Amino acid sequence: MSNDIDFDKILKKYHSDPFGYVDIHAIHTGVVSFGVALGDEVDSTSGEWNHIPGTVLYEITRERNSKKIPAQINGTVSSLQTELDGTFVESGEKLMTIRHPLKKKEIIENILQEVLYLYQAPETAKYFFSLDIQSRIEKKGARSVSIAPGDEVFTMSLMKRDTPIYYEGEPGIIHSVYFKPGISVEQGTPLIGVCAEDKVPLIQKIITRVKADWDKLS
Amino acid sequence: MSNREITAEEIAIYLKNVELPARQQGPLQENADEILRYGSFVGSTIECHERLERAMERARQHIDSQEKKGISVQSGRIILARSLTASKGRFSRCWHAPPGGLWGCLIHANTLTPKSTLLLSLGVGVAACEALAPYGAAQKHIRWVNDVLIDGVKVAGFLIEGHRGPRWGEQFHLIGFGINVNNRNFPEELQGIATSLQSSAGVPVDLKQFSISFIAKLAWNIGLLYFVEARMSKSVAGRSGFRHPVLERWTELSDTVGKKVVFGHDVVTKPQYSAVVTGVADDGGLQMMLDSGASHTEYSGEIRYLS
Repeated sequence: MSNDIDFDKILKKYHSDPFGYVDIHAIHTGVVSFGVALGDEVDSTSGEWNHIPGTVLYEITRERNSKKIPAQINGTVSSLQTELDGTFVESGEKLMTIRHPLKKKEIIENILQEVLYLYQAPETAKYFFSLDIQSRIEKKGARSVSIAPGDEVFTMSLMKRDTPIYYEGEPGIIHSVYFKPGISVEQGTPLIGVCAEDKVPLIQKIITRVKADWDKLS
Repeated sequence: MSNREITAEEIAIYLKNVELPARQQGPLQENADEILRYGSFVGSTIECHERLERAMERARQHIDSQEKKGISVQSGRIILARSLTASKGRFSRCWHAPPGGLWGCLIHANTLTPKSTLLLSLGVGVAACEALAPYGAAQKHIRWVNDVLIDGVKVAGFLIEGHRGPRWGEQFHLIGFGINVNNRNFPEELQGIATSLQSSAGVPVDLKQFSISFIAKLAWNIGLLYFVEARMSKSVAGRSGFRHPVLERWTELSDTVGKKVVFGHDVVTKPQYSAVVTGVADDGGLQMMLDSGASHTEYSGEIRYLS
């Protein structure tokens, strides 16, 4: 992680284009049928337990099994591979892009995710901090809790099976927590962002600068 | 009667002389021998104790001590105890384990694929339900994921915890089981929510025979997970419309689908929402329709019936 961050450049970039661009890919092979058109506004999956499906982006059918795929993020359909509508696609083929308007908090998180070590969910499941980590967080706050490779940091709960998850990554403090206990997390989604202890002042500087400068420039 | 004298040899004999012939009359009759061979590691070593604090803890100690000695841990080892003094359910809930019940833990080296592992919890519930059936408890009994109930009251519970070997990092499932067989008296906090097989059957049950039968059903259902994996690799079972036989059997033995339920990760202390169960997905997820009309599938948590 570099100490040299060109704040002006990063902020200028977000000011000139305050959007995130999320590519949507086919989740598996099959025949796709689009549920949206170019320029359509889409709503993300929502609800306290992510139980309210978002706008259906596409339906994919493989061997008579159809799945409707809802948007996980709100925004506008900014590109659409219309030539693929009604055709067979391979798994992972890009289908469209959603242009998502970023909030200040998301911009800070985006910048932080470039400088933090992100530990990702190994499987789609519910995650909890291990008892030891949870008690340390409750006593001192996450940003006072140091973790190192081999530490039992999470419990993964799936189909009444609780599995300890041992941290593998850079040692440091738990700076950001991206999951909520009891809410299912998709495989590959960051669970925590870890920061080496000597880099904490740099992270704080990023947050302060973005908060102050973003409001000033807005 | 206690289960102290159960041996691996008795399990092997039961599998060959009782379980196999019975399965050869069932829907997977042509593959019964192969399925039981896949599952025959279950109960291949057994240790019996008069009393333990927790069987899961004993399993952890066994794995750790074996690995520290440089010895590979044998998958399928079963630890039984006549009584447990510090047993607990999920979220540290009370689990009363006096003499008369079947209390123990199976050590399973996790060599299943993640897809099969999803169904492991369901298979354990199926095994218990199948073991209860000859005692007149043949109705639908499983509540998602794998609680086994008689007349709406819990008779068996299971807990699966992961454990990593300290030396080689091998992943194990510790499959804890507790079945109220002949223990009929429960502490006040379990009154009305726990029952025993003897209470239901009206007569004492041969604990040793029941225990051997349950272990054999475990061997079958876990063997089935390995068998289907092998078939999947030959893409026989990967065809559209394929429903895993463990899931098929679970559906036959469960009364969850169609029930109005309350769901929560810890549903006793933190119920989250109510819904109607509309089905169980191919990977075991609980499909529900919420009061708002939205559909939702859960892969973790527990339910209680409202109707």
